[in-house]
Amino acid sequence: MDTIVALSTPPGRSAIGVVRLSGPASLQILRALVQQDLFAPEPNRVVLKSLLVDEGVLDQCLVTYFQAPHSFTGEDMVEISCHGSPVVLRQLIDLIQSHEARLAEPGEFTLRSCRNGKMNLSQAEAIRDLINAQTQAAAVQATRQLSGELAQALQPSKHELIRVIVTLESAIEFVEDDLPAVQLDDIKETIDRIIADVANLAETYRAGHLLRDGLRVAIVGRPNVGKSSLFNRLLMFERAIVTDVAGTTRDSLTESISLQGIPVSLTDTAGFREAGDKIEAIGIERTRRAMADADLLVLVIDGSCSLREEDQQILEAAREHPFVVAINKTDLPQVTAGKNLNGAQVVHVSALTDEGIPQLTAAILEPFSSLDSASVGLLITDSRHHDLLIRAKNSLAAASRSMDQGAGEEIVVADLHNALRFLGAITGETTSEQILGEIFSTFCIGK
Amino acid sequence: MVFDETFDVLVIGGGHAGCEAASASARLGATTALLTLNLDLIGQMSCNPAIGGIAKGHLVREIDALGGIMGRVIDRTGIQFRLLNRSRGPAVQSPRAQADRALYRLEMRNTLENTPNLSLRQGMVVDLLTPNNTVSGVVMQDGRRIGAKAVVIAAGTFLNGLIHTGRTTYTAGRAGEPASVELAETLKRLGLPVGRLKTGTPPRLDGRTINWEAFQRQRQQADERPVAFSFSTDKIEQPQIDCYIGYTTGQLHESIRKNLHESPLYSGQIKGVGPRYCPSIEDKVVKFADKDRHQLFLEPEGHDTNEVYLNGFSTSLPAGLQQELVRMVPGLENANIIRPGYAIEYDYIDPRELGPDLQVRRIAGLFHAGQVNGTTGYEEAACQGLLAGINAAFLSQGRPRFGLRREESYIGVLVDDLISQGVDEPYRIFTSRAEYRLAFRHDNADERLSKYGREIGLVGDREWERFNQRRDRIAKIKKALTGTRIRKSDPAYIALAEKTALNGVDSISLEDLAKRPGMTSVLISQLLPAEARLAGPVEDVEFALSDNLYSGYIKSQENAIQRLHAHDTLLIPSGLDFRAVSGLSHEMAERLERAQPVTFGAARRIPGLTPAALATLLVSVSVSA
Repeated sequence: MDTIVALSTPPGRSAIGVVRLSGPASLQILRALVQQDLFAPEPNRVVLKSLLVDEGVLDQCLVTYFQAPHSFTGEDMVEISCHGSPVVLRQLIDLIQSHEARLAEPGEFTLRSCRNGKMNLSQAEAIRDLINAQTQAAAVQATRQLSGELAQALQPSKHELIRVIVTLESAIEFVEDDLPAVQLDDIKETIDRIIADVANLAETYRAGHLLRDGLRVAIVGRPNVGKSSLFNRLLMFERAIVTDVAGTTRDSLTESISLQGIPVSLTDTAGFREAGDKIEAIGIERTRRAMADADLLVLVIDGSCSLREEDQQILEAAREHPFVVAINKTDLPQVTAGKNLNGAQVVHVSALTDEGIPQLTAAILEPFSSLDSASVGLLITDSRHHDLLIRAKNSLAAASRSMDQGAGEEIVVADLHNALRFLGAITGETTSEQILGEIFSTFCIGK
Repeated sequence: MVFDETFDVLVIGGGHAGCEAASASARLGATTALLTLNLDLIGQMSCNPAIGGIAKGHLVREIDALGGIMGRVIDRTGIQFRLLNRSRGPAVQSPRAQADRALYRLEMRNTLENTPNLSLRQGMVVDLLTPNNTVSGVVMQDGRRIGAKAVVIAAGTFLNGLIHTGRTTYTAGRAGEPASVELAETLKRLGLPVGRLKTGTPPRLDGRTINWEAFQRQRQQADERPVAFSFSTDKIEQPQIDCYIGYTTGQLHESIRKNLHESPLYSGQIKGVGPRYCPSIEDKVVKFADKDRHQLFLEPEGHDTNEVYLNGFSTSLPAGLQQELVRMVPGLENANIIRPGYAIEYDYIDPRELGPDLQVRRIAGLFHAGQVNGTTGYEEAACQGLLAGINAAFLSQGRPRFGLRREESYIGVLVDDLISQGVDEPYRIFTSRAEYRLAFRHDNADERLSKYGREIGLVGDREWERFNQRRDRIAKIKKALTGTRIRKSDPAYIALAEKTALNGVDSISLEDLAKRPGMTSVLISQLLPAEARLAGPVEDVEFALSDNLYSGYIKSQENAIQRLHAHDTLLIPSGLDFRAVSGLSHEMAERLERAQPVTFGAARRIPGLTPAALATLLVSVSVSA
């Protein structure tokens, strides 16, 4: 086994940069870096050392030695935290490679960790999520999957599915054996139950996806209703240029903010109206796209004017998405009181005085109200997992349909095998040998 | 080296693997000798006198499509033909036939004796000559040396065979026949990894002492056409017989339990692993203690014998006790055992030593086929024999090796499973081992494989012509199925609407109609235009409808598998040094070295290979590809 090295903090300038080594030569390389042949650091203990090169001191660093198998990868590991200068970090990694280490492939630390039995595949995927986790809630979620919870949550469904497959396979394979008759009603009921369970888990993806990627919110409305003012208010700094000239915002602006610990990506859009020129036309096209991508729209209406044709058009366009109506400019005399909005949720705000801003924030975070970050249950956050669950569900539904149409066991079981393959891609494969093993331990087979 | 005789190919063993191997090799033009311990026992069915069954019947039809002989021989000697799973979908139907044991043997010997280029030689092989890890011939017990370019070992259960009945053990290849001890030692000496397996057989009864009235008759349905195994068979000529079904009793189970200490299976005397799907009566009673009865089949062994095979009563209890226990079965109160049941332990060679052509990788020209590879079953043995025989002949002729893929046949599945996963119990084929079960029907084995049989040179002109004619007929029927529409104005419409929901559609094609619940091939056949319907047998219509029935499912299954196993067809360069693959642990590299997977798909199926190791291998192979 060779020794690998990688920068484990994001590239670019930062306060601290962490370089990790894994493999049998890790300690030996560390000794070479500090130029002390007998350096014997206590495992898991952080020590301050100077890394030396011919020209002198490269950097003052905190180094930690982890002894196999008590490390992330299960191998000898060294972690070096130095100052986050890209030049220093580059030099350090080059230096390490000149000793007996090579640059790690993407994911290779995790791969080694998997191979040494430190984690299973779905834990490995959760690690990636953990690294990418932007918020505390997402971090909790990532930690849960780390303990193999997803695989565990799927076990009962998988187990039931295997039981059904075993029953059907036995009927097909061992026609001359004295087996109990297949109860098709029971089987159908079981399949439908598994469909519901898998579907429930798949549905948590929306919430899981919100936790991980945050909520995408677009502020839309006709020109000059104060979208950019509201945008700046929510960001709490003057990001967008605000004037009283209609159509000032010509392009969409996006900023990430954290509202009560929830990541929100907030987009200010160009006002929605017949385009006056080519640039504005492009801006409006971008607005349409931002609307299509958003999880939630904040539709801004100027409360000091009556509702216009353009407001109605936007309301119509917004119907396809979850949206909140913000009636702006409560600091002025109000003409539109939120009537004729067909029961949409309405918040009265003033971007000028901050009136109603907390209420607007609460309305934006409404989808999260059921997701108390500390107590959320298991949520799917990985699009691959979601995709596999949906495919499993579809295969199960096809099997259920085939049963309704009186199709043969071999056809029903073909779809069930597909479903098992998709679940298996999350939890680990079930081989035909394992299915046969189940059959032989369940039924007395053989003449 | 001076040889007494020289051939292109030698086949050691005259069982089901050996017969196919010798026949194929000789018919491909290689001078071939079949070496057997006893010429009179060529083609002997050591266990139950039947061929076929679910998935096994598929194998026989695949053998036939490739130009093998098993299907023809059983068609001429079968005395009860049944199509299993007749009420289920066509993909899982499979033919099975009870054989007249003696007739089968004679027919097989006769077939071999009339094969040009094929010589039969009686004697025991005691040594293999393998200078420079290349086969050059064998040494017989009587001192003869026979030279050859290729040798197929098809020794069945004879390698270090050890029979158990109660506490008594003795070396034997089968009851009454000597074991092959020296050859087994030779294979060990060549460094091949040897394991130990076990199988068993039930007692045979004197039919005159059975009270047949006490059993339930299992007869062929009057409307059932016997389904032949060979695509070249027109008619089953043998008179057909009945089998009988009976049951054990709780009292009998109790007696077996009391006497378990007499069973070598439970005393620890037997070390080899037996097949789980073919348990002894002792195993059934112990492992399924809650079952109050177990099924037994009385299978007459032939037209001209009173011997009856007591299927379901495999045992290694002492012979005297067997007699007592058998008489506890209702209807067998006075039955006499004429051959006691026994268990046999034997050596097998780890099949992971083999390539897809069944050649031992480390010894050029040495092929293994049948039970020596850890399989069980005549059909499993025969298909390996066929493959090994073809490749042995090809090797002697300098032709490229021949293999089958697991995507196209049960034979491909079997060989791939064996060589990539090895065995830890006797390996039997099951339909569920095939990912593409819906595409592998017994009736389309010719469609899938005859082209190979023809290219190889084992499918003759007559069979090829027959195959092409059938194909044309089926193509016509398929055309008629899509082209014929039943309209509201047709007289048949009302009658059909009563049978299946037509939802008032104005017209429907026969193809779509056939997919409706309640439709049968007979009904559809009646609606076909006469020229399509009458051109061939009703099986042609069934064939076309089966293709129609499964096409959508086969496609969706393919999609699912391709999505998940997109890299399965990726080739692993031969001679890849797994130890040099960076990131592969020693243990994982060792498993890969043993299995020598040809494709990434084969590697994926190696037991114990971790997802991480597979990911690493995938990266390495994709990079080098």
